[in-house]
Amino acid sequence: MEQILTKNKNIPKLQDKKLKWSQGIINIGLTLYALVTLYPLFWLFTSALKTNEEFDSRPFGLPEVWQWENLKRAWDVSAMGTSLINSTIVTIISLVLTLLLGALAAYVLARFQFRFKAFIMGLFLLGMLIPIHSTLVPLFIMMNKVNLLDTYWALILPYTAFELPLAIFVTAAFLIAIPKEIEEAALIDGTGYWGIFFRMMLPLSLPALSTVAILGFLRFWNDFAFALIFISKPALKTVPLSLSVFATGYATDYKLTMAAMTIAVVPTIIVFLMFQEQIMKGMTAGAVKG
Amino acid sequence: MTTSTRIKGFILIGLLPALLLYSFFVIVPIFWSAYYGFFDWKGLGSAKFIGLTNYVEVFNDPIFWTGFKNNMLIVAASVFGQVPIAMILALLLTRASLFQRMIRASIFMPMVLSSVVVGIIWGYIYHPQIGVLNFVLDATGLEMIKKVWLSDPSVSMYAIMVPIIWNYIGPYMIIFIAALQNTSPEINDAASLDGVGPVRKLFQVTLPMIWDTIKVVIVLCISGSLKAFDLIYVMTGGGPAHTTEVLASYMYNSTFNVYRFGYGSAISTAIIILSLILILGSQYLMKRDYR
Repeated sequence: MEQILTKNKNIPKLQDKKLKWSQGIINIGLTLYALVTLYPLFWLFTSALKTNEEFDSRPFGLPEVWQWENLKRAWDVSAMGTSLINSTIVTIISLVLTLLLGALAAYVLARFQFRFKAFIMGLFLLGMLIPIHSTLVPLFIMMNKVNLLDTYWALILPYTAFELPLAIFVTAAFLIAIPKEIEEAALIDGTGYWGIFFRMMLPLSLPALSTVAILGFLRFWNDFAFALIFISKPALKTVPLSLSVFATGYATDYKLTMAAMTIAVVPTIIVFLMFQEQIMKGMTAGAVKG
Repeated sequence: MTTSTRIKGFILIGLLPALLLYSFFVIVPIFWSAYYGFFDWKGLGSAKFIGLTNYVEVFNDPIFWTGFKNNMLIVAASVFGQVPIAMILALLLTRASLFQRMIRASIFMPMVLSSVVVGIIWGYIYHPQIGVLNFVLDATGLEMIKKVWLSDPSVSMYAIMVPIIWNYIGPYMIIFIAALQNTSPEINDAASLDGVGPVRKLFQVTLPMIWDTIKVVIVLCISGSLKAFDLIYVMTGGGPAHTTEVLASYMYNSTFNVYRFGYGSAISTAIIILSLILILGSQYLMKRDYR
């Protein structure tokens, strides 16, 4: 017994030292992995500020002279201003619609009992299983018939529709946890359901709604497939769509391509840096539910 | 107005806008694509009813099955590439220190970038003349394995899988971290006190405890891999000679490049059926308990 005790006393010290060493090696490994992950982004930013000659001859180094005017030229050449405005309009309207319709439906589904409720929940669940791309062809044909192609609505309506299931399930899960007594008190005070929804449920579910909003922002802002198929007018192109022109190969002014992409990714990176924990948790929850 | 009609009215008005919009843009197209699949139609002019011809053609179309095979390759790359990498990272990143949170955020970062940007960046990395990859191979004396990565049919699909793995590791890592943080530390400590070595502890204590999460992640890999489109469209467009085609890109190319709307609709329907079979099938298999 005595021996075991002394042994136990010694082991932790040894282990501590070993642990420190192995933790150090692990941290170096993790840092390297993170740097490799971030490197393409770093390369994008530095290449955007080089001359074309430098881009060819020294792909890894920092720019000798930082060519800030590349950003300005890329902005002009690729009509990035128009695309940014289009993306902003489409994203904001889709977000407002998603949040309002989603929260309202979530409140109804979380709080009221009625016929077909299970069926409606199942219908929304189905939408999370269907690969979005398989609806592109029929949606194109349908929108062509009602002259919706090449309008903002051609993006806003499908974006909202496809984001609704996630919005509803995230918000409803949150609303179910709010005690019913609060509502009952308000009902007795003579507040109608609309009053309860707008003045109590919306503010109370703000944490859930902000998750939905952040995820929606990233999804709408980055969407490529819908924009590619439903938008062909240059004046209506969103950011990913106008960038995709550079992918077709004939764009040989690499520094301008890189500069245009830099302008395009900065908004999402800022949003990510501001809300990283929420985005990581939300996107993960979204993935599990989707 | 009685209370019950007021409630009914509220339910109706509250639910209807979301339900209508959703049905019209998500559910109805499924049936339309099944319907258009019966027609020969160029997108303009009149459509000709041709019965099951399109569906039979899809079933016998070698390129459709190439696309399916590539989707399955992406599933395999996710399950055997992303899942182990995400798991190793999660095991090392369970603490909430500033350093660990920064590493986590960096690994997650590609998820928030537009896939068009990711595709173009990787297109440049693989570029035969200006590409960083061939530059590195030159510099390290490995010229013999230099390739025109995205135009060489023998390697292009594998070249594409690297960015796909790289891009989507973040969420799986976060799922694993959450699961690991939920396991009870007592069991871990008990195992250590019993003198169980770290490797044995991993396989006999830690992994069994989060086995349900691993199953969920594998189902996610399958459904996620079926969505592959953007990166492929941007990097190769399905070429060279359809070798990197996935189901979604082939659907796009058949419809909007060669204007066969009926055939594209038939492919869409086939994608929906295949996806539902795969997702529901994998969920069913994963729910069964082998222990």
